Formats: sequence, C-alpha cells, structure tokens
Amino acid sequence: MSTAARFDEIVHAPNRLQICAILSAVSSADFAAVREGLGVADSVLSKHIRVLHEAGYIDVRKSTCASRVRTSMSMTAAGRAAYDGHLAALRAIVSNEGFHADGCRGDWLAQPPGLEGTPASA
Amino acid sequence: MASLSVMESHEGPGRPATEMAPGEAASAISAIDASRSWLADRIIAPGWYHLAFGVLAGSAIAEAEIRNWALFGWSVTAYTAGCSALAWWNQRRVGVAMEYFDCRTRAVFAGHVLTLSGLIAIACWLGLDRGTHGAFLAAGALAVPLTVAFGRWTDKLLRTRLQASW
Repeated sequence: MSTAARFDEIVHAPNRLQICAILSAVSSADFAAVREGLGVADSVLSKHIRVLHEAGYIDVRKSTCASRVRTSMSMTAAGRAAYDGHLAALRAIVSNEGFHADGCRGDWLAQPPGLEGTPASA
Repeated sequence: MASLSVMESHEGPGRPATEMAPGEAASAISAIDASRSWLADRIIAPGWYHLAFGVLAGSAIAEAEIRNWALFGWSVTAYTAGCSALAWWNQRRVGVAMEYFDCRTRAVFAGHVLTLSGLIAIACWLGLDRGTHGAFLAAGALAVPLTVAFGRWTDKLLRTRLQASW
C-alpha cells in the first residue's frame, strides 16, 4: 500500500521523528521506554509529547500502579497517517523524485534560472 | 537555496515551505532506522528467558514420570503461573505493548504447541501403554531445547518485522 507523500513539520523535528518511529511500530509505549530510546531528559520528552498530543498525533494515558503513576502513549490514526506521509516524503527526497512541501509531488527540487537541465541534487 | 537541517526543530504555524537536501532526508531516515533497531533490540528477550519457559515446560512433562496425577495437576498449575509471571516481567522490562502475533509468529507458536503436544502424546504412548520407563523424563528433556528454539525463532521474526515495517 503506498502512502501519499506529505512533509509534516510537526513530525519532522528529530526527537519527534524518533518518537513517531517507535510508536508507529507498537500498540503503546511507556514514557520511560521512549525516554530511554531517545536518550533525552524527562522535560525534553514531555515537551515533544505535548506537541504531538496537541496535534492529535498521539494519545497519552496515565495509570496508577502500586502508587506510582505510569504514563504510556500510543499513536492515533491521524499520527500514523502523518508519519507515513512524512516518511514517504523523505523517501521521495532521497530518491530525488522531487517533492513539494505542500504535499504535492512536483518540482520541489527545481533548479534556479539558468541551471535547467542539471541534476537537482548537484 | 535555504536548506532545512534535520537537527533543527520546526515549530509554529505558517513556516514557509522549506527545502531539504537528499542527504539530510537520508539522515532522518537513518535516525528512524536506528530507533527501530533500538526497539527491536529492546523487544528481543534475554537468552535465559526462553530457557526458563523451556525448563517450566520440561519440568511439567517430566514430572508425569512419577505417576502422581495430583502432583501433575500442581505442576501444570505451576507451569501456567510461571509462564504468566515471565510474560508479565518481560512486558514490564520492555515497556511497550505490541501485536506479537502476525501470521508468521502465529504459525511458529502453533508449531511449538503441536510439537510439544506430539512429544507428550509419544511419551504417554511409550510410558503409559507400553510401560517404558523414562519416557516422560526424555520428553521433558527434549521440551527444553525445543522451546528455546521456537522462542528464538519467534524473536527473529519479530526483529525482522520491526526493522522492515517502516
């Protein structure tokens, strides 16, 4: 199944991209596990989670187990679509197909005047 | 041409469409790859995990050699409780929940169950019908490496799936 390439600014930040990469592969993940995967401080991860949550890309759940609060998160359908689209956009850029940041394939790597006909990545 | 660095954070609406060099996109994809590899490594159980399952299964089977069915009932209960405890501990260790079973891992699991069932059936036939001594002990001993092999096979499939699914 192919996904429409769509560059997503929210997903694109390195830490958020990694969060999405982890969450897209699992049903849910604990805060501690994701923090360990990214190697960042609690505050940094919280900030990125808040951005993704406010965008509707992830769900955050808190549960209490043995008087300890456990935070887990999972990717929403919208988040999965945004991540898949962003990944397709990255692949399109890598394969030099040309991609426009508004989500449309096209002459994103178009040449400046006078350089037409030369490879876009040159 | 302005180029978008993958090391930058982009927040806020209205940021103009920005270009990214193929090399930077490749770096972002490499970061995704690294995250998936980390996740695969985390999900793969430690070596002793499958051995513990094997010892639990092997003990329950081998215990039938005593021919004490009340004790056998307790050993099956201990096996169930032990498996549950191991699975719970592993879930806590990994810190993620995922669909462990797809068509391949389900097939491996079914193969494991059928193999152990066959082993028990042969042990019953030899030990109970033909009076062969040590049939359950042998079956229990065989169950340990079989369980380890099936467990590692499942781990390998999980790793492949995690690394390939993006």
